[in-house]
Amino acid sequence: MALKRLPWFLLLLVVLLTSACSQDPAVFEEHSTVFEVGDHPAWSGKDWNDDNWKKWIKYVPDGQIFWSRTKIDILSAPEGSRPYGLQIDVYGEYEIFWDGVLIGRNGNPGQEAELPPEGKLWITHGIPAQLATEGEHVLAVRLSNYYFPDHVGRYVIEIADYEDLLTSLLIKTSYMHVFAGAFLIISIYFLFLFLNNRKEYPTLIFSICCFLIFALVLTVFSKDYVPIHYSLHVIRLQIINTFLLGISFLIPYYFSMQFPYPRRGLSLILYAALLIFFWLKDGHAFDFKTVSMVLSMWCFSFGMVAYGVYKNVRGARLVLGTLLLSMAVFLASGFVVSMYTGMGLILLGMLYLLTLNIKTQRLAYENSLVQSTRLRLELLKKNIQPHFLMNTLTSLIDWVEESPKKGAMFIEALAKEFDLFNQIEDQTLIPIAQEIALCRTHLEIMEYRKEINYTWEEEGIDLEQMVPPAILHTLLENGITHSLPLSDNSVRFKLVYESNSHYKSYSFLTFATVVKHTTSKEDGTGLKYIKARLTESYQSGWDLTSEPTSHGWKSTLKIYS
Amino acid sequence: MNVLIIEDESRIAKRIERITRDILGDDLQLLTHINTLGEALSFIEKTPLDLVILDLNLNGDNGFDLLTTAVSKSFHTIVISAYKDQAITAFEYGVLDFVPKPFNKERLERAFNRVSFKESVEPRDTRYLAIKKRHKIQLLSIDDLIYIKGAGAYAELFMTDGSKELHDKSLEKLEHLLSSSFERIHKSYLVKMSEVKGVIVKSGSKYWAELKNGELIPIGRTKYKDLKAKWF
Repeated sequence: MALKRLPWFLLLLVVLLTSACSQDPAVFEEHSTVFEVGDHPAWSGKDWNDDNWKKWIKYVPDGQIFWSRTKIDILSAPEGSRPYGLQIDVYGEYEIFWDGVLIGRNGNPGQEAELPPEGKLWITHGIPAQLATEGEHVLAVRLSNYYFPDHVGRYVIEIADYEDLLTSLLIKTSYMHVFAGAFLIISIYFLFLFLNNRKEYPTLIFSICCFLIFALVLTVFSKDYVPIHYSLHVIRLQIINTFLLGISFLIPYYFSMQFPYPRRGLSLILYAALLIFFWLKDGHAFDFKTVSMVLSMWCFSFGMVAYGVYKNVRGARLVLGTLLLSMAVFLASGFVVSMYTGMGLILLGMLYLLTLNIKTQRLAYENSLVQSTRLRLELLKKNIQPHFLMNTLTSLIDWVEESPKKGAMFIEALAKEFDLFNQIEDQTLIPIAQEIALCRTHLEIMEYRKEINYTWEEEGIDLEQMVPPAILHTLLENGITHSLPLSDNSVRFKLVYESNSHYKSYSFLTFATVVKHTTSKEDGTGLKYIKARLTESYQSGWDLTSEPTSHGWKSTLKIYS
Repeated sequence: MNVLIIEDESRIAKRIERITRDILGDDLQLLTHINTLGEALSFIEKTPLDLVILDLNLNGDNGFDLLTTAVSKSFHTIVISAYKDQAITAFEYGVLDFVPKPFNKERLERAFNRVSFKESVEPRDTRYLAIKKRHKIQLLSIDDLIYIKGAGAYAELFMTDGSKELHDKSLEKLEHLLSSSFERIHKSYLVKMSEVKGVIVKSGSKYWAELKNGELIPIGRTKYKDLKAKWF
């Protein structure tokens, strides 16, 4: 992914999304709506005097009929035979009149208590072309509101070309579904990634976030094709806010994982409490809840990412950029547009962080591959490195010249060590018995070379145990190199195994005269090999110590369970 | 000849000993084998030696430390090592020969022939001369050397900065070690030819080499012809 181009891509996305929401000039002007409880057929008429009707009714109990009248100026008549359409969101079941002519019906006003719920909340009614002349008109609604008697009030009215209204709904809905679909796919993809690597919680959280955004967008924008009776509207809003609650918590939680800071747990608990407070806050102020949660999410995320930038965490700058951009969109275009654009931007920022993580992991994995290949080569090299091979061959020539029979035995010992190395060459763990066999063969070879009596002893060995290849062999090599024989021309090695519930331990003892080094000690490549092998198999769960003792040298290897 | 073998592999040491006895025969007065660096260093200080045969990897010690000490002494040093890639460095330090392991009698014999001057030595890229100064071994770069004057068993090294150092090796041994850019122009002088500006002939057919720093060094009457053919 060309990450350098990501900021430009984000900008383009914002421009596209904002331009998609631009609108044509209005064709009507709406005056204030007035209400009256009661029922009279003449109330639908254009000329009915509604001067003493109320601007506001607080409460209409028991699904009684009441009326509303709204004066509307049509600024320009429809072109040709294309009628105007009217969209109106009303809590209630109603009949709708245009200058006294019934133009739409939604459910059974006044009979809600007896009949089951009928009709839907969002409808586009047609206004016959001949009625929508330029000039003043009256929109009268005869309705009852059985389910939310205390929610009698203003409603949003939109008048425009009938087909355009439907088409723009269709376009908006399909755009938002494409948007949602993208999040669904991302969500599934990262869910699978998580299922394959269950330690990567950021992947899971990202996946859930994407899914929640998918669900949120789908719930919000399905209203134009899923008929919802007004009695169900609160439930719909509650569902939407619950999705938002999840998103608002998970996004900062995700950032807190990527940019860890002190007292993380406590701050997250407080943040969750704040969100739940907004979520539970009284009844029907859904817009307030939504705005509060989304703004809190932004503020918390911003704080965390800013801390990440302060700590110079990789990727933090770009994510901070997407957050600032989303705030810019909010300030420029209002809440609804900025919420989806902003979430898209923030999720892109999160995605960017994940790709950084994936890259880091891939590099680490490649590194480990290189490392194990290097260890394998190192193991192979043990037998062909000049110090071992050339000294062995020189001694061997001498034995062959002096005593061909011994020479042959020497070659056999050498063949055995080569064979053992061949067997363990591509293993990361081998049975301890194999490792001991390797050590014994090596001692046999060294006896021919150094003409010192080497002896090998072991105590408490558990033959079930596995060890990384050639680590005891390397300790043995070091022991041989740095030891001079005792007065009886012998050097003794002893391997002691102990285990308890915490660790397994191998003590490697050398009984010899330790060489006092008059010069700088040779670089401990052997020790490096042992450490790299132990790290490969046990990560940090091991410990290796070496110390001189009265009888020679002692190395202790502990492997923690 | 007094010979010291420093080798920590017993079998190999025995082999060197045996071959040495074979080659040197009655010339051999003393043959000692030591397997640790510390012992070897104190032995070198106490015993007059003609040749040291040295393994560079001893019980985990780095033989180069011993090498700088050894090459500052009057005796020649032959290195026997499993690491062929150490050969160049060893020659730079001024060893007479480098014998890679595994070796046979013929190879060792060639090395011994160099010691006894029976075999001509190809010019070597010795880059340093190790000298002992105030109980410390110091490496002098050949680049800073102008000429060497023989002084009995020792040699005096004349450097570009005007200083004069003493080396325990004789002029003959140093001539063996230094590359062909040095010429023995007189029985007592070994001169780096790039430092020679010209030849001055004085009355009585006396020849002098004039150095870039203005010094005059006598040219041996017998050497002049060869020098003229080769250099002028």
